[in-house]
Formats: sequence, C-alpha cells, structure tokens
Amino acid sequence: MMTTDAAAPFAPSSLPRTPSRTLSVVRMQLINRQTYIWIPLIILGGAFLLALAVYAMLANAGVTGPKYGGGAQAPLWYFGVVGIQALTLTFPFSQAMSVTRREFFLGTLLTAALTSSILAGIAVVGGLVERATDGWGVNGWFFGLPWMWEAGPLGALLVNFVAAMLFFVIGFWAATIYKRFGGIALTFVLVGIGALLIAGMWLIGRLDAWASVLGWFSTVGVVGLSLWGLVLAAVLAAIAFLTLRRAIP
Amino acid sequence: MTDVIEVRNLTKRYRDTLAVDDVSFTIQKDTIYGLLGRNGAGKTTVMSILTAQNFATGGEIRIFGEQPYENTRVLRRMCFVRESQKYPDDAKPHHAFHAASLFFPNWSQELADRLIDEFQLPVKKRIKKLSRGQLSAVGVIIGLASRAEITFFDEPYLGLDAVARQIFYDRLLEDYTEHPRTVILSSHLIDEVANLIEKVLVIDRGHIVMDEDTDAVRDRAANIVGDADAVESFAAGREVIHRESLGRVTSITVLGALSADDRERLAVAGLDVAPVSLQQLIVRLTQHTRGDAPIDTVPTPDEGALR
Repeated sequence: MMTTDAAAPFAPSSLPRTPSRTLSVVRMQLINRQTYIWIPLIILGGAFLLALAVYAMLANAGVTGPKYGGGAQAPLWYFGVVGIQALTLTFPFSQAMSVTRREFFLGTLLTAALTSSILAGIAVVGGLVERATDGWGVNGWFFGLPWMWEAGPLGALLVNFVAAMLFFVIGFWAATIYKRFGGIALTFVLVGIGALLIAGMWLIGRLDAWASVLGWFSTVGVVGLSLWGLVLAAVLAAIAFLTLRRAIP
Repeated sequence: MTDVIEVRNLTKRYRDTLAVDDVSFTIQKDTIYGLLGRNGAGKTTVMSILTAQNFATGGEIRIFGEQPYENTRVLRRMCFVRESQKYPDDAKPHHAFHAASLFFPNWSQELADRLIDEFQLPVKKRIKKLSRGQLSAVGVIIGLASRAEITFFDEPYLGLDAVARQIFYDRLLEDYTEHPRTVILSSHLIDEVANLIEKVLVIDRGHIVMDEDTDAVRDRAANIVGDADAVESFAAGREVIHRESLGRVTSITVLGALSADDRERLAVAGLDVAPVSLQQLIVRLTQHTRGDAPIDTVPTPDEGALR
C-alpha cells in the first residue's frame, strides 16, 4: 500500500527551496505594518505629546521641580494585546499558509524582538534628547526616568527592550494556554499565579525579609533586573511553545 | 496511479463524540475528489488532520509518503483554507494574498489578480468587514492561486451567489487542466459539483460509506417509474432504497446496475428508467433518523435535509 514513488520526487526544479520560512513568517507579520509598527508608535507619540502638554501646563503654573511621567509604558500594554492576537488570529492564518508551528513560533518571536528593539531604540533616543534639553526645557521627564537610566543609555535600551518583549510574551503565553486548554484553565492558571505571589509576599513578611528583598532589587540594578526579566520571558516563551505544539487553530 | 495521501484506521475522538471512526482510504495524484457528507459528518476534521492542523486520536496518515506534522517538506505542498478561516486583525485581502505568495512555491499572482477581478473582491477593505461571500472568495483565491499539489476546499462556496460559484467551478477546472494537481473539495451542494469531481468520497457519521469513481456511482442505482403493480413486480428481489407513490404511479430507486435483460423487461412493462442524480443517491445512502433506521424504511426524502 505504501508508495515510495510519491515520497521521492522532491525535484529541485519543481520545488525551489525557500531560504527560510521562519523569516517569511516575520515578513508575513509585517505585511500589515499597522499592527507591529505604526500603532505602537502612535501610542508612544500620543502619550509623549500628552505628557509634554501636562508638563508645559505645570511649568506655566510655576512648578519648577522635575516632573516624571509613566507614559512611556503605554505601548507596552498594546504589545500584550498584540501578543494575544498573534496567537488567536495570526496562528490560525499561518496554519492556512501551511506554516509549521515551530516556524510560526520562531518567526513571531523574532518579529516581536524586532519591533521591541525599534521601540527601545526610540525610547533611548528620546531619553538622550530629553537629557540634552534638560527635560524639553520644562524639566519634564518622559523617557529618561532616573532608575531606568542609572546604567546609562545601554542599560536603558536593555530595560526598554526586555519590558516590551516581556509584555508580548505574557500576552502570547496566556493566549496559547487559552487556545489549547480553554478559558477556565487560563483563569485557574492566572488565579494560581496570583495566589503564589500573595503567598510569597506573606512568606517574605513572615520572615521579616522585606528589607533584604527590596535591597536585592536595588543592588541588582536595572541591568540585573532586565536580565531576570529576559529569563522570565524565555521561560514563558518555552512554555508557550510546548503548549502551541499541540494547539489546534 | 500514485497515491499522494494514505489514511489507515484514522480515528478522532472528541470528549464525547467519535468524529472519525476507523477510516481508511487513499487519494490519487492529480485527481479531483468530492468529499461529501452532511454537516458534522467529519469532513473538516479529516481535512484538518491531513494538513496537520488537528491531531488524530489513532491511526496513521502519510502524505507524499511522509508524516505531515511539523514537516515543512510536506506542508508546503498542501493548501487548506478553512471555511471558518481566521485572518490577522486588520488584515486586508491583499495582505493575505501577499502572505500566501511567500509560502506557496507555485503561487500565481496572475491567477490571483484575475480571480480578484472576477469575484469583484475589494482587496483594500478589512477582512473582518467583508461579507460572507467575499470572505469565501478570499479563501477560494488562496486555494486556487497557490497551485499547491494537494489543495483542500472546505465548502468554499458559502455565501457566494450562483454566478460566483460558477466562476469558481470554471476556474478550478480550467486551472486544473493546465496545472494538474490533487483537489479535495468538501461540499454538500452535491449536484453542483457532480460534473467537476472524478471521485466521490462520502463520509457519514465518521465512516466512509462510499469511495468510488463518480461515473461508477451514477450507475449504481436507477429510478423506475410507472404503474404501481408493474413497478412492484420488477422490484421483487431487488434492493429498493427509496419508494414513492402517487395514486397508481409508483417510483422506486433500485440499487445495482441494470442489465440489458432488465432494460428489455422494463421496456416491455412500459416502465420508465431515469438516472439517479448523485445527490439523490447520496441523500438516500446517508439518510437516517436520529435512531438508526435502515435506509429503505425511511420516509420521503427531503433533498433540503442535506443542506
């Protein structure tokens, strides 16, 4: 019954070997640049202009001290949503494109890394300009929050990159759990993680260890924290991949 | 003939239902198959397992002699756009076609452009805003223009009007003639695709109940119409899968090819012989009430039941 005939003809002429379908997944994700590039930039730009307007109003009102805003995190939340949609919508589409789950996973993470780098690059350039102009002339700080810049521009680049990646991976990871095991399972997992965090906090309090925990955070610094964030992202990505391997579009 | 797909003892069990039950069949190279059956018969499940989008509970499948799961060599030679296909958020049809051109080695942009024109598909409108028919057109265009060696169409005509459906059938046949490939078309508009398909695979409640050449299927049964007594005397000893009476006139559908002898007998008795349409035959073979009534005791068929 087995015909070897059908297996044999991988004639190079009829089947040109595409360089890498993983890179094609990156191109597929970026065909519509709106999702990965324009919208995050619009969010970041919008948040920046709003913050600047507020700083200007405060400066007009005579507030001369440094003004800090957390608006630079705005695109991160959107990255979480993109991570979710990459799985719920783009994964089924990639299956129709005859892409393997592995190619889809690697290509999608590569796309996220690429766009996270762009976002981090913009944040660092913004931060440098911010420093050069002493907070846009109004002592207002949007990109250059002191703790992020304590290790200089490279540290800031790293922490911005890791933050964007982490948000994306969390969204992607949660969506794979949802896709594979359903909403109830995801809820249990999230509640379970919440319970573990609370239990951890209780334990720290019980051991009277808050001072040393907070001390650890300050000694590890922005670079150390970013690297731990990268470890967490890698673990979540690995879980997402193992879950995705048996997911049905 | 080379087999491009081999399926042995394929089983798919969902929590409480057996969607595919120990099914075995093969699919030949460069042939158009009709995968027919009622809604929920297991058509989409079989196609998703063959393309490694879904997983079998048991059994074995071989595509081009290989196992398809996570196998780029095999997958890139196949195309399966689902009837309920999802697309990336904010994607427009031209984005989807661009993506397809990246992944299908034989993609024909020329054919895609022509089909876009013929289906009058708005390529710059967001896919989630398209009508059901336009959504089907996107899937049909990807399926045809990908020119994949094995192409699956999963009820591709949903929401398409008669003109658009005819365009699909015509272009499929035309492009198939120029670029032979294996096509597996799932449908329940059986008579519409009857002239297109060379082989019939009928799946019913997870079982393959028919796996034959379309021409052979047509000869499998005949309608006999005429005077009730004459019809009944002819029917004696034959397998009657359907019977209808109106006054003195009875119409029966008998299984089995008619011999020359039979035809002579029918002529002498003044009975008319009419061919059974593929749809009629399949309706009658797959018709059952909720229980498991034998085929020939089921009352009047309702062709709409298959819709």
